[in-house]
Amino acid sequence: MTARRWFLLLLAIPAALLLAVVAGTIDVGVREALAALAGRGDETTQFVVRGLRLPRAVLALLLGAALGMSGTALQGVLRNALAEPYLLGVSGGAAVGAVLAIMAGLALALVPLAAFAGAVAAVTLALFVAHAARGRADPRVLVMAGVVVGAFANAVIMVLLARADLNAVRGAMWWMMGSVANATWGQAAWLAVYLLLGGVALVAHGRSLDALSLGDDAAAGLGVAVERTARRVYLAASFVAAATVAAAGLVGFVGLVVPHIARRVAAGAGHRTVLLVSAACGGVLVVLADLVARMALPPADLPLGAVTAMIGVPFFLATLRRMT
Amino acid sequence: MAFDGSSRVVFQQPPSFIQGGLLLSALGFRRSALGFRLSALGIGLVLGVFACSSESREPRAHSREPWIVDGFGDTVPVRPAARIVSMMPASTEILFALGAGSRLVGRSEFDKWPDEALGVPNLGPGLRPSVETLLAARPDLVILYASEDNRAAARRLREAGIATAAFKVDSIAQFDRLTRLLGRLTGDSARGALVADTVMRTLDSVRARTRGLPRLSVVLPAYEQPLLVIGGGSFMSQLVEIAGGRNVYDSIPLPSPTVSFEDLIRRNPDLVLAPPEYAESIRRSPRWRVLPAVRRGRVLVIDTALVYRPATRIGEGAWSLARLLHPQLAP
Amino acid sequence: MIRFAAARVRYPGQDRDALAGVTLEAPRGSVTAVVGPNGSGKSTLVRALLGRVPLAEGAITLDGAAVRDADRTSIARRVAVVTQREELVFPMPVREYVALGRLPHLGRWGQGSAADRDAVDAAMARAEVDGLADRPVQELSGGEWQRARFARALAQGGEAFVADEPTTFLDVAHEMAVFELLGALAREGRAVLLVSHQLNLVARFADRLILLHDGRVAAAGGVNDVMQAPILENVYGWPLVVTRDPAVGAPALVPLRRGSGTPP
Repeated sequence: MTARRWFLLLLAIPAALLLAVVAGTIDVGVREALAALAGRGDETTQFVVRGLRLPRAVLALLLGAALGMSGTALQGVLRNALAEPYLLGVSGGAAVGAVLAIMAGLALALVPLAAFAGAVAAVTLALFVAHAARGRADPRVLVMAGVVVGAFANAVIMVLLARADLNAVRGAMWWMMGSVANATWGQAAWLAVYLLLGGVALVAHGRSLDALSLGDDAAAGLGVAVERTARRVYLAASFVAAATVAAAGLVGFVGLVVPHIARRVAAGAGHRTVLLVSAACGGVLVVLADLVARMALPPADLPLGAVTAMIGVPFFLATLRRMT
Repeated sequence: MAFDGSSRVVFQQPPSFIQGGLLLSALGFRRSALGFRLSALGIGLVLGVFACSSESREPRAHSREPWIVDGFGDTVPVRPAARIVSMMPASTEILFALGAGSRLVGRSEFDKWPDEALGVPNLGPGLRPSVETLLAARPDLVILYASEDNRAAARRLREAGIATAAFKVDSIAQFDRLTRLLGRLTGDSARGALVADTVMRTLDSVRARTRGLPRLSVVLPAYEQPLLVIGGGSFMSQLVEIAGGRNVYDSIPLPSPTVSFEDLIRRNPDLVLAPPEYAESIRRSPRWRVLPAVRRGRVLVIDTALVYRPATRIGEGAWSLARLLHPQLAP
Repeated sequence: MIRFAAARVRYPGQDRDALAGVTLEAPRGSVTAVVGPNGSGKSTLVRALLGRVPLAEGAITLDGAAVRDADRTSIARRVAVVTQREELVFPMPVREYVALGRLPHLGRWGQGSAADRDAVDAAMARAEVDGLADRPVQELSGGEWQRARFARALAQGGEAFVADEPTTFLDVAHEMAVFELLGALAREGRAVLLVSHQLNLVARFADRLILLHDGRVAAAGGVNDVMQAPILENVYGWPLVVTRDPAVGAPALVPLRRGSGTPP
């Protein structure tokens, strides 16, 4: 990973943020945007820039960084290029929590908390199921446990939605399709804290992930406490993923695709570097995806999860073609 | 075979007959005497099945029986209906206004007005109702909400020989039509016309009263996440028009479209009209306060009982909107 | 230096012990080879040493200190292991791959020092993969990959070197080179523990031979003591003779065809 690449990557972040602040339904020029950021100019423009677009872009950036890192870590610890942040039942559990909260008509501020609680419950359940199957150390058993928990959660959601009133169904579906449309600075701060905690934990295990990618036996030979490290990585990665789901619903594909992009960009570097590159690439990708979500079909926003999938597919194809 | 309460035996052909017939026809297509006979048998079987089944498929309106066209575009025969199931709030309310409330033997769980409606048995949801439950009430006439979700139920009910009509009320014209049609379906066209005319006259008088007054632009938010607003495809938009206002979203032909907040800022309505609980949270919400209307305190509460339901009280609903838009009209 | 004392291992759900009380020692300065038929427990020994399977009874010690109590990183600093199987999921250049061997010495946040880089370069040269340093590991042939793994273990350093079937993919020249390297490591003072099914090759390089059978030590001692036809026939369950070629200088096992050949 050359210095030049780092420079370009780090430059892309403020560039994407600026673009996100300038472009939108209401025309805001670069000069007006910068003025608004500085607290000058038309009041409505200031609110649109600082109150609507900037928190949205920052939340998107944090979201992409978190999902990118989580995906990279899970792909490393599971030695599986198709692992992604929602693997251990995170998405299913969070959706159950959110749908319950929406149907119960709870205050909107409580929905993220319910989603987070649901995600944590699902991951715990998945780990428990894997442990009961005596496969706690075997990645494949853990993946299957996650799939099972996720499928169960989906069934629960379908039962809930079957009897919900129309608006609750629309609200639940919209939540599940992922969005940063209602971003607030509070949400962004919250996600930033979780990302920092989880991210530091993941990067700290970066070298261990390098060793783990060789296989459990070889990693043990290099001094890695295999089961303990794997458990910590699962928990940190799922924790970060749960925080993203609480903040913005289900934004799929990012955690799957960004690790591959990051590995290409980082060109064979170890996991510590790849994790940081994933954070940067993921952040930029989601900021751009949100831009498309806002501007593609006015007056409504497209669901962010749909846009990330649509953008992610060509990236993924390009990467696959180079791999084979 | 289905045997419904009113002694009409209904033949429901098993699909295997058709398949069997087609197979025979295919087998028979060989140049031999036996082959021709087999094909003839097969084709005859298929045709016969279709002939039998089409007779029993729907209570086909005979040429001299009156009929109407419902919201799905299907024809519904007009016959005396002693037992009516109404699975949508608008038709339930209108039926009571037509004096046919005593003939209701079932309603949907959402039909709660007038108060007498609560005495009618609750037969479940208005979307994808349980056909068995409806049949158990042994109705002569079933009114459904004309959503795609209900097409299957409508078809099953007709196969069972029950007159079924589906309707939607997304506009005042549709309300007018529904009222008159329900009048015909219950055998009292005059009453139907009367109720409809009364409401139309009230709306006309509201329109006349607000004609010269300044026309304010309005947004009617319905849901917060995602942000749903009442659009041009809803009768409420028309009520706003009649009451001397203009819905900023009347250009979108959907009843309740999703919109982005930035778009709402761009349209900059003069007034926000919302249900009571929602109005309170709008007044306190930091992002809503960016709208000049909210900052100036122009968030008003709608009487949802009058305005939200496309039924007989929309005349009063129009008056209530007119008073919100033009305070000088308030008594 | 590495000592197994009455080690017993049973995999969960099995009704037989994989290791049923194995006692052996791999002292410094010599090559100790563990041989035996498939399923005799050879690889289980290595996995027990790595802490991947728990001991039901007995102990494994390094210079007397029990492995069970020690922190794995400190063990990895003293014992380098080339495992039988390994996965290769993510692309990386050979140099990075070999540099992974320095992991136990680096600590969580440490950057590699010049000493680490020198160790890596020396290891690659010794294992004859220095020409492949910038190639992605994925593109190596089976033999090149195995040598790269060897290089990684060499880079890891330490006082003991454990190799589980290290020459599976290697051709004759490279195979001999590996065994000569193992001999050299022993002469440099390290404890070399070698697990292999290639009895004849092992016999030429090992100082001590330990023959496992059904999880037990069937025979232990010098090469000539263990390489006896009756002992080997009993363990391998196949008629054979042990020959001695002066050019080779070590006994060799030759399996006979059933129903022919001279009785021992």
